[in-house]
Amino acid sequence: MSLLSVRDLEVKFVTRRATVHAVSGISFDLDAGETLGIVGESGCGKSVSSLAMLGILPKPAGRVTGGEVIFEDQDLLKLPDWQLRSIRGQDVAMIFQDPMTSLNPVLTIGRQLTESLRKHLDMDRKDAEEEAIRLLFRVGIPSATDRLGDYPHQFSGGMRQRVMIAMAISCKPKILIADEPTTALDVTIQAQILEVLKQLVAEENMALILITHDLGVVAGVCGRTIVMYAGRFVEAASTKELFARPRHPYTLGLLKSVPRLDAARKDKLEPIDGVPRDLTKLFEGCAFAPRCAYATEESRERRPELVETDAPGHFVACWNPVPDADLPRIETIPVPTAREAAG
Amino acid sequence: MSVAQAGAAELRLEQGASLWTDAFDRFRHNLGAIVGVALILVFVIIAIFAPVIAPFDPNEQVGPLATNPAGPGNGHLFGLDEQGADLFSQIVYGARLSLLVGLVSVGVGLTLGLVLGSVAGYLGGWVDSFIMRVMDVMLPIPSFLLATGLVTILGRGLTQIMIAVGITNVPIFARLLRGTILGQREADYVLAARSVGVPGPRLLMAHILPNSIAPVIVQATLAMATAIIDVAGLSFIGLGPSDPGLPEWGKILSENASRLEQSVHLVFFPGFAIVLSVLGLNLIGDGLRESIDPKLRA
Repeated sequence: MSLLSVRDLEVKFVTRRATVHAVSGISFDLDAGETLGIVGESGCGKSVSSLAMLGILPKPAGRVTGGEVIFEDQDLLKLPDWQLRSIRGQDVAMIFQDPMTSLNPVLTIGRQLTESLRKHLDMDRKDAEEEAIRLLFRVGIPSATDRLGDYPHQFSGGMRQRVMIAMAISCKPKILIADEPTTALDVTIQAQILEVLKQLVAEENMALILITHDLGVVAGVCGRTIVMYAGRFVEAASTKELFARPRHPYTLGLLKSVPRLDAARKDKLEPIDGVPRDLTKLFEGCAFAPRCAYATEESRERRPELVETDAPGHFVACWNPVPDADLPRIETIPVPTAREAAG
Repeated sequence: MSVAQAGAAELRLEQGASLWTDAFDRFRHNLGAIVGVALILVFVIIAIFAPVIAPFDPNEQVGPLATNPAGPGNGHLFGLDEQGADLFSQIVYGARLSLLVGLVSVGVGLTLGLVLGSVAGYLGGWVDSFIMRVMDVMLPIPSFLLATGLVTILGRGLTQIMIAVGITNVPIFARLLRGTILGQREADYVLAARSVGVPGPRLLMAHILPNSIAPVIVQATLAMATAIIDVAGLSFIGLGPSDPGLPEWGKILSENASRLEQSVHLVFFPGFAIVLSVLGLNLIGDGLRESIDPKLRA
């Protein structure tokens, strides 16, 4: 039995002018201690799905219109807000994209760190402060003791993201959702932050959902990767398998558009032509069909479901998966670890 | 390594420059603001120690009744009024009244405005629409006109006048706060706080309000100045406190306006007191704005 089980989650944003079908039925399971990457371009519904799971969609436009999110035998989507609040932060925690704006500018780091400790673990002030120091130390903030009374603007971006991570892991959550945790940081800091995340997840046996648009990031961190497009999952496999044998044309396109250090001079990056689907309009067939070189008549008429390929555990939603002949040669697949990415 | 124990021993939560320390630093180096603080401080001291500073009871007759009372001199710093009372003592006691009026009416406006504005901004939806439409109706009415109307309805006691002037400030505070809260409500740190399970009321009180309050503080100082002028103005047109014993600056001014040509001191001194106190408050307000406004921050 898996730790978290998402079934047919559907999220819509309803405004007076239009309805955006942000997430149209996604399902996945997450085991304890597993690291799962969800990859996709801006606006494909990655962040929205995680916000929906925690019940913190922007109101009043965002609403969950279907599906269930089963965590420890209860459907999170059906829980009243007060019960969900005790799960957020305690059992499931989240790290956000921009560390520059995700900390409250008028409260000290100490206050913000101790907030959830005192609320969820019922610590008194002194214990919470000691724990906060220990947490800051664990995420690699030097002289943590002195920095408890500091305000967010006195920290650099990378340090702030470390503080965010410390906040997120403060109550030893079973699931950590990291929403583009490194996007706002420069590359060396990115690698450091990923290293901290990897270590913590391994030490605490936390399950990690890493949401990103950066294939390099999942390559270094995640055991399994799901590719998302226009509110649906299009491919899911172990990260190694996905990078070696991408079956969905979109995944292949993403891989080809990653710049390579070892590329020959004449090689050009291959962008994916076209623009993402307008999610305010309903459509038939595969969402990627208009941009796809492999699209068939069927792709335009019927929507493909996720089905397992001949490789076990590798799922793809495509009528005409990428044939072996078109796969990039295996030795050129970029699978850098976080440390290598740091250079 | 036992970082925890080592750390707890030397916990120094006080250190580190907060946004407020930073703002205070800017404020300290603003000449205008310092002059403003000095002015208001003088008025505050005068108000507190009025019985010590004033040589006479403000309502006591200490000189001859006169149509054209004597100006400064003869032991009377600001001269006498037509009842033969000491003008300086009246002005000194008037400082009490003016500061009280400023504080209380802004307090009334601020409290109501804070509650309405934060409820509207935080809850949104029809609550927001309803509150803000009511505020929109009040806002275009000139504050002095509104105060005049309210005093007419509520009566001419000092308390009623302060409440009336306070109410004219409510829409200004409510709108200001609602605007900043709307901006803060969707901020990332609020989402982050929600994601660790911070409940709604605490979200508003501990996270959103402290980030939205700065412009309101600035507005409060400026509103205090307006309140003093409004009350003086109400007194001037005869809607001041009905109690004749109250040495209100605006009242002294209005009672003696017709004597401007004969006894300038009766108009000059109360007018000067009003100008100085309002100037002081405005200087403080501007100084605060400059030191708090994020756009002026480095």
